[in-house]
Amino acid sequence: MTMQHHPSDETLLRYAAGTLEAGPALVVAAHLELCADCREQVRTFEAVGGAMLEGLPPAEMSTDALERALALLDGGKHAASVTAAVRQDRVMAGDIALPAALRGCRIGPWRWRGPGVRISRVVIPAAPDAHVMLIKVGAGRHLPHHGHSGTEFTLVLKGAFSDASGRYARGDLAEADAQVEHEPVVDQDGECICLAALEGQMRFQGLLGRIVQPFVGI
Amino acid sequence: MTAGSASAGKAAPDFDGLLRAIGHERDRKAFAALFLHFAPRIKAYLMRAGTAANMAEELAQETMLTVWQKAASFDPDKAGASVWIFTIARNLRIDQIRREKSAAKYEPDPSDEPDLPPPSDAIVLASERENRVRKALKSLSEEQAKIVQMSFFSEKPHAEIARDLGIPLGTVKSRIRLAMDRLRNLLGDLT
Repeated sequence: MTMQHHPSDETLLRYAAGTLEAGPALVVAAHLELCADCREQVRTFEAVGGAMLEGLPPAEMSTDALERALALLDGGKHAASVTAAVRQDRVMAGDIALPAALRGCRIGPWRWRGPGVRISRVVIPAAPDAHVMLIKVGAGRHLPHHGHSGTEFTLVLKGAFSDASGRYARGDLAEADAQVEHEPVVDQDGECICLAALEGQMRFQGLLGRIVQPFVGI
Repeated sequence: MTAGSASAGKAAPDFDGLLRAIGHERDRKAFAALFLHFAPRIKAYLMRAGTAANMAEELAQETMLTVWQKAASFDPDKAGASVWIFTIARNLRIDQIRREKSAAKYEPDPSDEPDLPPPSDAIVLASERENRVRKALKSLSEEQAKIVQMSFFSEKPHAEIARDLGIPLGTVKSRIRLAMDRLRNLLGDLT
């Protein structure tokens, strides 16, 4: 399987830099599980981070900083909380296993949101305001027309859809910015399940606006 | 400054070796040497990324303590010392930002990440990749380096960076694309 659509370099750079919002970062992490090339690219950008860290003029630390650090070295369980995230072995949505990146997230039930369209809200515990959802659309159905003011990140987990920019199958990630008015259509031979996150505020139009609005709480 | 210029022209100390000494022998002298080099730079990085000075110092401390605790899992074949330490500081910064809103976390620590299969065509050695990246950063024009730095240190999307610099968004995007192409080309030579 060769993926055709990947996150932009800007997005991968921001992911590596840790400056991508929680929702989009989750979708990118899920893509990385499926895409070796993008994992490699993220490592490259992390190497950029390492090189920048080396190259920065040092900031002044307080005079007792090293002493304090040394005193804490054998102090036991510092930072134990860091890995105390909720772990689930396997998260399912219907009959498909979800990406490992969704472990620890709360996955809501599928809710009907129009003919052939179901949506499940995904809550990232550390970032409950992030707009993340699973979207399931029936074979041959249109994803309703919409526009938005931020970038929308959509990863195909099952099935495929097509829009003006091409066909998106499992592992493909669509990055649609505010200028894009896209109208994706799901393939005829089966339903399509996507993981989607929005960056910034949505500008709701038409049907999807009414569909999504109750979920994202705007 | 251009990216990476401060490390130019002098032999880098063996940070990988210091980390191994910490990981294998709990070597406190090695930790002190590593701390004196990295803690002030981590603090500088966090402050550029918008963290207040006192919080930046706390997070730099926390980063170095995490380095001490996780040094045994440091693998120089995957990432060199500065890259590994960068990812720890980055993740603690993400945690900190999210903690300001909420209590839990989801971003995995790099040492907890499962071993994913390497890219099909070739495994790029971390040390080689990092050398190439350093060279590539030095070869960027001042403008390109500035854009890469801003992308790295700032939460702002490129549209806002463009506004701040008073240049068109297209210019920001084309500069970053050129910088990325350069990185890609240099790394492409490896495979």
